[in-house]
Amino acid sequence: MKIQKSFSDRLLTTIAYLFMGLFAVICLYPLILTLSVSLSSEKNVAIHGYSILPQGFSLNTYIYIFAHSGKKILRSYGITIFVTAVGTLGALLITTMISFAISVKTLKYRNVIAFLCNFTIIFSAGLIPWYIVCINYYHLRNSILALILPSIFSVWNMFLLRTYFSYIPPSLYEAAKIDGANYFKIYYKIALPLCKTGILTVGLMYALQYWNDWWNSLMFINDKKLFPLQYYLYNILSNVNAISSGLVPSGAAANIALPAETVKMAVTIITIGPIIFLYPFVQKFFINGIMTGAVKE
Amino acid sequence: MIMRAKDGRIKKKNGLLKEINDNKILYLMCLPALVVLLLFCYIPFTGIWMAFTDYNVVDGIFGSKFVGLDNFRYFFIGNSMARRVTYNTLIINIFCIIFGLIIPISIAIFFNEVKGKLFKKVTQSAMFFPYFLSWVVVGAIVYGFFSTDVGMVNKVRETLGLDTISWYATPKYWKPIIIFASVWKWSGYNSIIYMAAMAGFDASLFEAAEIDGANKFQRILYLTLPMLKPTAVVLVLLSVGRIFYGDFGMIYGIVGNNASLADAVTVIDTYVYSSMKTLGFSYSTAIGLYQSIMGLILVTISNKFAKKINDGEGLF
Repeated sequence: MKIQKSFSDRLLTTIAYLFMGLFAVICLYPLILTLSVSLSSEKNVAIHGYSILPQGFSLNTYIYIFAHSGKKILRSYGITIFVTAVGTLGALLITTMISFAISVKTLKYRNVIAFLCNFTIIFSAGLIPWYIVCINYYHLRNSILALILPSIFSVWNMFLLRTYFSYIPPSLYEAAKIDGANYFKIYYKIALPLCKTGILTVGLMYALQYWNDWWNSLMFINDKKLFPLQYYLYNILSNVNAISSGLVPSGAAANIALPAETVKMAVTIITIGPIIFLYPFVQKFFINGIMTGAVKE
Repeated sequence: MIMRAKDGRIKKKNGLLKEINDNKILYLMCLPALVVLLLFCYIPFTGIWMAFTDYNVVDGIFGSKFVGLDNFRYFFIGNSMARRVTYNTLIINIFCIIFGLIIPISIAIFFNEVKGKLFKKVTQSAMFFPYFLSWVVVGAIVYGFFSTDVGMVNKVRETLGLDTISWYATPKYWKPIIIFASVWKWSGYNSIIYMAAMAGFDASLFEAAEIDGANKFQRILYLTLPMLKPTAVVLVLLSVGRIFYGDFGMIYGIVGNNASLADAVTVIDTYVYSSMKTLGFSYSTAIGLYQSIMGLILVTISNKFAKKINDGEGLF
């Protein structure tokens, strides 16, 4: 009995190791593949295809990209960084304020406000009315605001933050009020410093959303000068997809300059570069933030 | 009677104004967010009217000719796209929900069973990483695997002496590829939510079970899984509520506007986008409205279920 039990336990542990190891490899493999192709020489890739180790290691692709479209990429980088920075700060300000306000239990209409927010995730007008309103009334076409405003407030993030704020004991607020502080002062002197983890987590979520966004540019931007990084990459890839589908007549395909394989992968790496760089620092912290916020009450 | 009702209302109004005046600062702090919602969620509701008209830019939303349900008729009967795009949306989402349940829970459970600290750290970092990538980047990676000429998969097939497949021209492979990509991207993130739930479990229960001679399999089967059920139910119901919504970014990022794959992968969201360009605003507004109403119905149903299971606490 004893032996059997430990055998089944050991079997389970083995399965656990295998599963975790395998899934981790599946998650990382494509990335290493992308990186290694971007570091290969174009000729070798054309002959041997993609492979996990760089073939004929060279930095030529990166040098080529920065020599030929360096300006465009740097510009797109600039747009993405600007949108991410301004968007994240604005979104954090707006979101922390409303989440704090409706976490105050004495606020009578906080449930009404929460419902107004909730309703927008339950029912929406759909893409087209949203698009028409943005284009015709707010004139967002080819405006940098189009990349920031539509996603500046996320109801999900608000609810996550409200959970954090609601952990703060109301007695702290009462004490501050007796000392003459108003709620705005309480917000930035007491509530914000106490919810650092939550705010940074939500801030990272917003930053990630802005960095990875190409939907707003697909809808509103056709001026190449305003292309953010992701949309720049999307355009390179969608040309390639159209040609691979075989629907573009080969004559026409010959006229479209196909970005070389290594270039595509190098641009991909350039796009996710900052994320790879920051990942080790934010990862653990992000996991803790989500774990704390996910545990309700 | 009437006077009293009037009085009552005035009193109530005073109450409202008084409340707003008393908590001016708090209500002002809510204002920016509410303005954003007003601009991007509530004002667009007026545009729903377009679904019942033949919209043209000159006459505007309310000046265009009223056509009743013609747009819906065309969608459901005329070109019979309704069935295809709804089917694609539901199938892709159903499989994403199933795998999105099994794999993250497995990760969370197995994570507890492995011991090596470094191993834990490395695997968790690896699994969480895809969450940080945009669908465009995922699209680039998918291309690296399935490109006809240089793709990894075809090169492997060549080495094994098999025929190469022109993946990007063969629709039948793409539902599985998209489902796999979705599971790949989200599993690490979702597993964290289950780990958070498991962190709150009462350890003494597990110790007691161990003393009583339950092995690890039994402990997982009779303790961990039942205790994870509430979390799983909430997450599944949340996704069921959104089952009529396809992930536009995912489909478009991976497949783009590749016309030869459209039959297999066009979901409601991508169809709204593409028909906006070809079939006009009114028609695509009608499809969007169909989607929103189905979404509303499903959210209501899943909320009811959640309340039943969670002792009165709904999803929203």
